Amino acid sequence: MKLVLYSGGHEDENFELDSALIKLTHIRRPKITYIPSCYYGSEEYYEEFVRHYQGFNITKFYYFPIDIPYSDVLLEEAFKSHIIHLSGGNTYYFLKNLRRKKLLRRLREFVQKGGILTGLSAGAILMCPTIHTAGFPSFDRDENEENIKNLNALKLVNFDFFPHYKNSNRYDLALKDYTEKTKIPLYAMPDGSGIIIDRNFLKFSGRSYCFFRGQKMPIKGLRQNLQFL
Amino acid sequence: MKSLKKNKSKVLEKDPYRHFSSIDGRHPFQKKVPNGFVKYPARKRHGGKVAFFNFEFAKEMGLIPQEHPHELTGALTEIILATFSIQIINEWDLENKTSIREEDKLPYEYMATRYLQMQHPNKQGKTSGDGRSIWNGMVKHQGRLWDISSCGTGATCLSPATIKYKKYFQSGDPTISYGCGYSEIDEGLATLFMSEVFHRNHMKTERVLALIEFPKGLSINIRAHENLLRPSHIFRFLKQDNYQGLKKIVDYYIDRQVAGGIWKDVPVQDYRRYDYFLTQFNQTFANLTAKMESEYIFCWLDWDGDNILMDGGIIDYGSVRQFGLFHEEYRYDDIDRYSTSIKEQKDKAKYTVQTFIQIVDYLKTKKKKNIKMFKNDRLLKKFNEIFAEEKLKNLLSKIGFSHKYVLFLLKNYLPQAEEFQRQFTYFERAKALRGMKKVPDGINWDAIFCMRDILRVFPQLILSRSKLLKNSEFIDILKSNYAKKEDLVLTAYRKRKISAFQKAYIKLVEIVAKFDKISQDKVLLELSMRSGIINKFDRVTGDSITNVVDKLKNLKPKLSAEELSDILVEFREYQNLDPDRKRVKITKTERQKKIFNGMLKIVREYREGL
Repeated sequence: MKLVLYSGGHEDENFELDSALIKLTHIRRPKITYIPSCYYGSEEYYEEFVRHYQGFNITKFYYFPIDIPYSDVLLEEAFKSHIIHLSGGNTYYFLKNLRRKKLLRRLREFVQKGGILTGLSAGAILMCPTIHTAGFPSFDRDENEENIKNLNALKLVNFDFFPHYKNSNRYDLALKDYTEKTKIPLYAMPDGSGIIIDRNFLKFSGRSYCFFRGQKMPIKGLRQNLQFL
Repeated sequence: MKSLKKNKSKVLEKDPYRHFSSIDGRHPFQKKVPNGFVKYPARKRHGGKVAFFNFEFAKEMGLIPQEHPHELTGALTEIILATFSIQIINEWDLENKTSIREEDKLPYEYMATRYLQMQHPNKQGKTSGDGRSIWNGMVKHQGRLWDISSCGTGATCLSPATIKYKKYFQSGDPTISYGCGYSEIDEGLATLFMSEVFHRNHMKTERVLALIEFPKGLSINIRAHENLLRPSHIFRFLKQDNYQGLKKIVDYYIDRQVAGGIWKDVPVQDYRRYDYFLTQFNQTFANLTAKMESEYIFCWLDWDGDNILMDGGIIDYGSVRQFGLFHEEYRYDDIDRYSTSIKEQKDKAKYTVQTFIQIVDYLKTKKKKNIKMFKNDRLLKKFNEIFAEEKLKNLLSKIGFSHKYVLFLLKNYLPQAEEFQRQFTYFERAKALRGMKKVPDGINWDAIFCMRDILRVFPQLILSRSKLLKNSEFIDILKSNYAKKEDLVLTAYRKRKISAFQKAYIKLVEIVAKFDKISQDKVLLELSMRSGIINKFDRVTGDSITNVVDKLKNLKPKLSAEELSDILVEFREYQNLDPDRKRVKITKTERQKKIFNGMLKIVREYREGL
């Protein structure tokens, strides 16, 4: 399993994660599929994405919005890429459309077959067992405008991911409160940080924090075997 | 003196709306073309509220200061209503001695302009023109001029109803609908949304400055443009063999284009001025009709030169549509006649040019010759050339080629570009086997392929797989919801066409890659990103605008003018299909977000329609 979870931030902040991603591919010119969380307004983000990864000598990109109708031809092509990137956006809306189009299973299969899945913010949260972390704290959350009840996500990792984390009391209170009720760790990542998973190994990039059973622990450059998480 | 000047500028700063005061019915046209209008006294019309105000446009026109917030202040509301919430005192009022309070009477008269209209029994324009509109005036700002006109300000004697029933009508008479002189808010909203989308996509058009809403869905719709003269204003004098009138109105138009800074190199001598005028008009109309055909814009052009402005601007959105597919057989049913179709627009525009050739000859020789004598004029050949080149240019741009590459291909690889156009046109014009059918407001023979879809997706697929699509894949992407199984049969001919389309497309990519010494993948990537915007999945259509307006109209509570303005900007920006553009982003409230999402659903649902 090869995953890269990005918290967010500017392109240059994510250089380390991007470099790690390129190493994961073992291919000189990998092909990337970009799946936006929402078609509306995504062309600009896609263009930024392309311009950024062109800097890593990637030349083949495939843009695959899922909340507009598409033919099987387009769907099959999307899954032929070496890397699939799930963009940021509203996590609820993204999950709703992935489920409605039966793409959660396709994405799991893609990863199981050796494809690399990357996600930024909402896209990273989707790799977790659920997308609960999109719904708090109250001052920094996605609106569940779609009123989705089933928050189960891709379940590719056995932890929660909290993007755009700011090292402050009000975030900590919310995250401690949440992890008191859960049995898995929550990794809170400021912009520019992220997690790289290569087979069974997990590596943190940038400043990272673990919240577990109501406690906060800073992490730095820790490489862990997933089996122990 | 210095201190006096300072004081004066301070006074002016205190009155940010002072430019409204010049909009009082007076207009230079009244002096220059005395036979071109009917004058009406007017009075204040009470009970209206400002439903929309186009802040950006008002700034462009200099009506409000640049730094003015997008907020309808009390003072701004007051001045908008005082300037535009008016009604003419018409012939019925005079006959029936309608009581009007002195304080409601306005100081100046307003004009309803006369122009040719084919739906009128008199084909010389003796009785036709603005049936429910008046011109409010003209404003000047930073070297540009704007004409302002309002629709729904009362029944004039130029309305078809007056002629048909041989009597004058009371403004608002419910028995006569269109002839009553009032307009409705949904017409205003539809014009507003469509015209702003067109304007954002570089189409010349009248724009809505403000909407004033009255009870029962009535409204005054205020529109403005740099020059509101139509060909039909001029044709009227030609039909009446009125040489002096014709000369005055053509001279007025030329002078106005110069005064507004639009034409900068007009010769001085009459003879040459008219030639210049003709060349400009020909260029404008050839470009316009090519653009309309390329963008599937339906605008009912006909011999009367109505429904379009002299400078190629779109006006009167009642019958203007943007199709999702090339529905070339669609005709609007106007009760006693069908409209022209989109593919006939070119010939109608050409005939309009031919009429102007006749006019200019008349102006030069003082002898009016039969229009048929000009059917082989060299200018009409030029029209065909410009039209053909523009169509091809538009197609290359729609593929996603930047301006530089479009010009390069046209100049150096015309046969290859034309080859692609031939293959493209085959699919664009393919129609359903079931033939002509009735649609809610006319007739149509459905197009079956969505060319925007293939242009959007094709470069991506080729980039991704580095090989051509199978026939079935190609059709799968291209087919629209109008296509039935029997329409999609892969005949040997169609297979050849699919192959030819793909090869012609790739050929253009190869040429550009070689020219710029870059990889074909890079060309395809750029095309995919640009065409993703140009050929957006959810491009607005006439049907979608009608439904969006219905939704907005029925919202409860109603949108405030500011909320409507924000939603309009967001909608217009989303429909901006220029890949080189910068989008204006609006922060939406939760309510606006919900409304906007609803609008988006409608646009997607009707994206292939009329």
